[in-house]
Amino acid sequence: MAATKTRQTPHPAAASETQLADVWRVVVLNDPVNLMSYVVMVFKKVLGFDEQRARRHMLEVHEQGRSMVWNGGREQAEAYVFTLQQWHLSAVLESDEAC
Amino acid sequence: MKRVEVKLNLEAVAPLLDVIKAAADELRPALAANPDIPGQDAEFAGVWQRELLEGQNDDLQVLLGLFGSDFFALGHIALERGNSEAVLRACSAVRLQLRARHLAVLGDEALESGEVPFEQMTGEQQRAFGAYVFLATLQELVVQHLDPTAQD
Repeated sequence: MAATKTRQTPHPAAASETQLADVWRVVVLNDPVNLMSYVVMVFKKVLGFDEQRARRHMLEVHEQGRSMVWNGGREQAEAYVFTLQQWHLSAVLESDEAC
Repeated sequence: MKRVEVKLNLEAVAPLLDVIKAAADELRPALAANPDIPGQDAEFAGVWQRELLEGQNDDLQVLLGLFGSDFFALGHIALERGNSEAVLRACSAVRLQLRARHLAVLGDEALESGEVPFEQMTGEQQRAFGAYVFLATLQELVVQHLDPTAQD
């Protein structure tokens, strides 16, 4: 099967060791355009969620305006943010310190 | 490979293509959604943005490619797993652009419910709304029949 779009995620120019050790959150924000079924599909595709978990996060985005969909190391978090943005979701990276 | 052929009403859809193509042209140098790029590094941000833009343009070419000679001769478009992801993303990009360019004035609640004051809208808004709804229908069709996360 062709066309699985996985471009190389840009690597941070200079991530310090401290940054790499921190926990980072991938947060998806609500947007008024993308369909619920599309968002569920993207969560399944990009984050590997099952249907139930994908729907739960989609509803959280829809009803509360945001949902934290992943947390962990910075490099992986950046890769998820980039890929979610490729799918035109409003994804942001937050550090635990910011919360 | 799973393939879905869709027969469209040529008379209804052809005028919407002009709107979709115009939006795709507007998106050639610009991202549909302004991305929140992590970090402060300008070079990193530039690479990030450029990669997103290249992907967006590739996707838009795939979407526009659906409407070739077969479409204009027979009203058919062919969707398959191989183009489904690009089509889904491109539909999303164009819908974001149509909302930003033509439809934001209607309000998000009206757009989401589809309950818009159609008769009071300008011709340009009506066509943009038609394209916006058409692309959503196309996305629903792809998700329903060619879900990229489903196993064959």
